Amino acid sequence: MSLVVDVLAGGVAGGTSIMYAALGETVSERSGVINLGVEGAMLVGALTAYAVGVESGSPWTGALAGAVAGGAMGLLHALLVVYRSASQMAVGLSLLFLALGLTSLFGASYVGQAVVGFDTWEVPGLSDIPVVGEVLFRHDPLLYLSYVLVPLTWAVLFRTRLGLLVRTAGERADSLVVHGYDVRLVRTGAVVAGGVLAGLGGAHLSTAYANAWFENMVSGRGFIAVALVIFAVWSPWRVLGGAYLFGCAIALGPALQARGYGINQFLLDAVPFVLTLVVLTILGRRTLSSAPAELKRVFENAPSPG
Amino acid sequence: MTATLTPPDAGAPGAPEPAPRRLALRLPTWQVALRWTLALAGAFAAFSLVLAIKGADPLATYQGMWESTFQRRRSLEEIVIQMTPLILGALAVAVPARAGLTNVGGEGQIIMGGVAACGTFLLLGDRLGPGLVLLLMLVAAGAAGALWAGLAALMRLLAGVNEAISTLLLNFVALDVLLFLIYQPWRENPVGQPTTEELADAVKLPVVSGTRINTGIVIALVAVVVVGYLMSRTRWGFRISVAGGNGEAARRAGLKVWLLVLSALMVGGALAGLAGMIQFAGVEYKLRPGFGAQLGYTAFLACWLARHRPGPIVVAAFVFASLSVAADSLQLDAGLPAASVNVLTALILVAVLGFTASKKKVSA
Repeated sequence: MSLVVDVLAGGVAGGTSIMYAALGETVSERSGVINLGVEGAMLVGALTAYAVGVESGSPWTGALAGAVAGGAMGLLHALLVVYRSASQMAVGLSLLFLALGLTSLFGASYVGQAVVGFDTWEVPGLSDIPVVGEVLFRHDPLLYLSYVLVPLTWAVLFRTRLGLLVRTAGERADSLVVHGYDVRLVRTGAVVAGGVLAGLGGAHLSTAYANAWFENMVSGRGFIAVALVIFAVWSPWRVLGGAYLFGCAIALGPALQARGYGINQFLLDAVPFVLTLVVLTILGRRTLSSAPAELKRVFENAPSPG
Repeated sequence: MTATLTPPDAGAPGAPEPAPRRLALRLPTWQVALRWTLALAGAFAAFSLVLAIKGADPLATYQGMWESTFQRRRSLEEIVIQMTPLILGALAVAVPARAGLTNVGGEGQIIMGGVAACGTFLLLGDRLGPGLVLLLMLVAAGAAGALWAGLAALMRLLAGVNEAISTLLLNFVALDVLLFLIYQPWRENPVGQPTTEELADAVKLPVVSGTRINTGIVIALVAVVVVGYLMSRTRWGFRISVAGGNGEAARRAGLKVWLLVLSALMVGGALAGLAGMIQFAGVEYKLRPGFGAQLGYTAFLACWLARHRPGPIVVAAFVFASLSVAADSLQLDAGLPAASVNVLTALILVAVLGFTASKKKVSA
């Protein structure tokens, strides 16, 4: 029983950074822009949050700075792919390299430094509920923020005019043009918002989950987020479920090992990726048919050589 | 490429996606040259700024990088050694790209190639004679890469899963396979760094006499010529480009599009697998946790820098290999982490991707 609670609680804690990034990617992809650089935005967000957290002594200031830094990475992506029509895949990967380099350059002095991270804050009352309390309400405040952000992202995307603009930019950009809106501006906004969320995800990783900074600490979580968005059929609610599923798969290995089960960590590490591949194969054409139309173009019109 | 505004008059609702109508005007050569110059200058200027912020003297740093990279025999050899897997990895992107497919899976295909080569050696040792074992390692590596990419092709054909996503995910699975093998079944020594047994000297790739350069570069250059020929001079090359340009038209013309998709991705995977074999049998000689790390992504970007053309890929691979060698100088002379050269790499790419489109795109 306690194994289940451990894995679930670990899944929520570990899945949160992925969820932030995947929520951001959902917003960006809903507007018709895929950003493979989420990984990079998370890295930059993680280091910025950590560094600012160390210097200022406040994890909240750090998280804010991480969000801004992630947003800046998003802006860079948007400027290149929206205004310069550069390849979305290639720019995303380039920005990952930029982030790897920048964070290695500016992060070296922060390796091993102590930070005032987010503390666990047990929600009064709710944390005493058996199982549910332990799994959901004994975490850090930045994690609780993500509980609010999921319905908020959903509401903005599907219940506001702004969300309608974003989704139209991703479905039928020409009708925005007809109505006198600037598609590029809408997309830029969505990609920047995506970057902000990815930056927050990075901040959660360095200042709440690991309480440490080390080179390349995001280690694939950004890529999982990109896959998760497709797995979740571009829906914020399913992103929530998917992120915790991934988190649990990651948490399962250490939890089993702590109980003396000899399990090769790397087989478990592969589980989320294999799971995504399997689910994508099973959902198959159904996922693709519900993809934003403009995004499908990005997928289908591969680079024209020459 | 496709993030451009859709023209207001494009396509009736429900019709199959029409490609946005664009007039492609070739820019005059001098303008292209000017753009490239400005883009590269911009990249170096931005990196200078970063260096200055870190308290390093940009000019002295560049001078140090230049001297230690291009004026030492050892460095020049190192560049050739490092550009070999990049050339093959970039070709592995270029072939599927011709068929309209995005292969981001070089990373995993290279790893699987290395794993297959290592497995072949562990199975056979050097008993069959070096020539045959090397040949079998090449074949196994190519097949492993092709199968790994073939998985993505099958997922696309059977379930419509986009290959950019599946190849990307398969990279992580391949990495976990590699780690699993070197931490358990193939681990040579239970203590210390987990690695496999070192390749026997007899079955290491021979070196070009008088240098440290392994003969992998010959394989890579032959591959450039063969791929160039395949893509521009054969029926298959023409057909995959038709399928890549307009799948529907290709289907109506009676082409087996599924076969073209499968073969283009598998040829790409095989090329990346060869890169993995060369990295294993010519450079690293054993599998270790960081085997081939980032080679696939770097090669993907090299392919973009070369705009998916085989000839320019050699140049792009040379540039990236030089940058990687220069990273050592950055670490030794300027005291900056080697990974910081990634900043320069990325700035060059961003500048080139964003500002040197050789065709002016006009939305009509």
